[in-house]
Amino acid sequence: MSGTYTLPIGPLHVALEEPMYFDIKVKGETVESLGLSAGHVHRGMESLAMQRNYLQNVVLTERVCSLCSNSHPSTYCMAVENLAGIMVPERAQYLRVIADEVKRIASHLFNVGIMAHLVGFDSLFMHAMEVREIMQDVKEGVYGNRMNLGACTIGGVRYDIDAEMNAFIRGKLEELKPHLEEIYGIYTTDPLILKRTTGVGVLPEADARRYGVVGPVARASGIAYDVRKKTPYCTYKELNFDVQWDTKGDVHSRALVRLREAVDSVSLIEQCLEQMPEGPIELERFVEIPEGEAVARSEAPRGELFYYLRSDGSDTPHRLKWRVPTYMNWEALQTMMTGCQVADIPLIVNSIDPCISCTER
Amino acid sequence: MNEIAKQALESALTKALGPDSVFWNKDLNGNSFGWVRLADNDGLARAAAALAGVSARLMVITAYRVDKYANYPGREIAYHFDLDGTVVTVTASLPTDEDTIPSITRWFQNADWHEREFMELYDIKVTGHPNPVRLFLDANVEQGALDRLVPLSTMMNGACTKTLWEKVYAGTEMPDWAKGAQ
Repeated sequence: MSGTYTLPIGPLHVALEEPMYFDIKVKGETVESLGLSAGHVHRGMESLAMQRNYLQNVVLTERVCSLCSNSHPSTYCMAVENLAGIMVPERAQYLRVIADEVKRIASHLFNVGIMAHLVGFDSLFMHAMEVREIMQDVKEGVYGNRMNLGACTIGGVRYDIDAEMNAFIRGKLEELKPHLEEIYGIYTTDPLILKRTTGVGVLPEADARRYGVVGPVARASGIAYDVRKKTPYCTYKELNFDVQWDTKGDVHSRALVRLREAVDSVSLIEQCLEQMPEGPIELERFVEIPEGEAVARSEAPRGELFYYLRSDGSDTPHRLKWRVPTYMNWEALQTMMTGCQVADIPLIVNSIDPCISCTER
Repeated sequence: MNEIAKQALESALTKALGPDSVFWNKDLNGNSFGWVRLADNDGLARAAAALAGVSARLMVITAYRVDKYANYPGREIAYHFDLDGTVVTVTASLPTDEDTIPSITRWFQNADWHEREFMELYDIKVTGHPNPVRLFLDANVEQGALDRLVPLSTMMNGACTKTLWEKVYAGTEMPDWAKGAQ
């Protein structure tokens, strides 16, 4: 008897919020290899996108993913704007950045909160989620929704911020700052967090490059790649921020990268509120989308988001393809999990901030 | 914009495919995008090897029908690469449904999922793929799911009658799937 057996997890499992099947070979308590089986929430959204007109697709793409929901329509709009040569008004570009960064803070707090839950630190989990509610209040107050913001449209945005709203957001950010500082301190010093996450699920830089991983997963493995810096879009060129990265490549460093990015996002929103000029927020009239092809990218909370648009000159896309960050990060689990303990499996899976619905579309 | 990355890509692709093989344009933020259309599919291996040689990263692969509604055959596959912020799209053509495309997993391991996905969505045959099994769609779903119209009633296995389709297709030839309705 070899002592190796298969541990099937999923596709429907109490530890998984979305369905994915993990075929895990274990020897004792140690993972030897991992197989993935996806496809349980395939929605055929790319097919739907080719049957809807350009404006309808703004609504459709916002429903690809809940945590990255604003990144999808904004990147889709950028692809359309690149193809049609549409210049988005400057104020609208600032407003897009604000929406993206609000979502980034909420998304990162959600992920690190879940991590606390998975290590058994439930009071920290509840605290992180309570702190996240500050950003949920911002979303609800500014956009009217807690997840899908409905902020973007082709050539601009669908919301504006007046002086009263500006003060409301600033107040919420001030409320958030000490909490972020406190949570970061706990994640860097707490013995339980350190014991369970340091040196766990390591992805060396060479493997990160081989798998082509993106976002905080790549940045925690020494790849200092952030689309906001590499190929600036909207007004990121005008804003002051650093690319947050690390070299340890473990579960702990991925969480810290996310927390530092959340702190940066607060600063980015404040800079936008400060610098944003007056002016229009959308096009005066809709322009025709010409025949051709275009690419657009953005840095979603989970990493690089890619849209490819091909137009035949009609009012529906010839082809609309998008690749979400998680798509690139799944296979790296094979390296991260090999040699880990069974108890660490959920922690490692959570550390790539997985989104199954948006992977499968 | 990263001029060094752009020049590295241009040089690698010129060496692999010949001069003037890349067309460049920019977005309104000044970011460069390169576009390559392969003269033949043998060029894909040369382009992939050259791009791997300069440490480019495969971001995604997009397959599509040349005619969106499949009125005539032919597919194209666009391979999107990045090098330090500069994007290059290499497009290969498959004029007939029998044409195949070689796998680029030899140079880009992460092409695995992308190639499996376009196999099942567009029924494109990939040669040399290390693991050509279904990615998302169940084995009982026919290959090429994005190639054809699947009526909602069929997809949901809902009850429908032939009478309905006889009215819909009155005066024209009824498609095979409608003839099978009960």
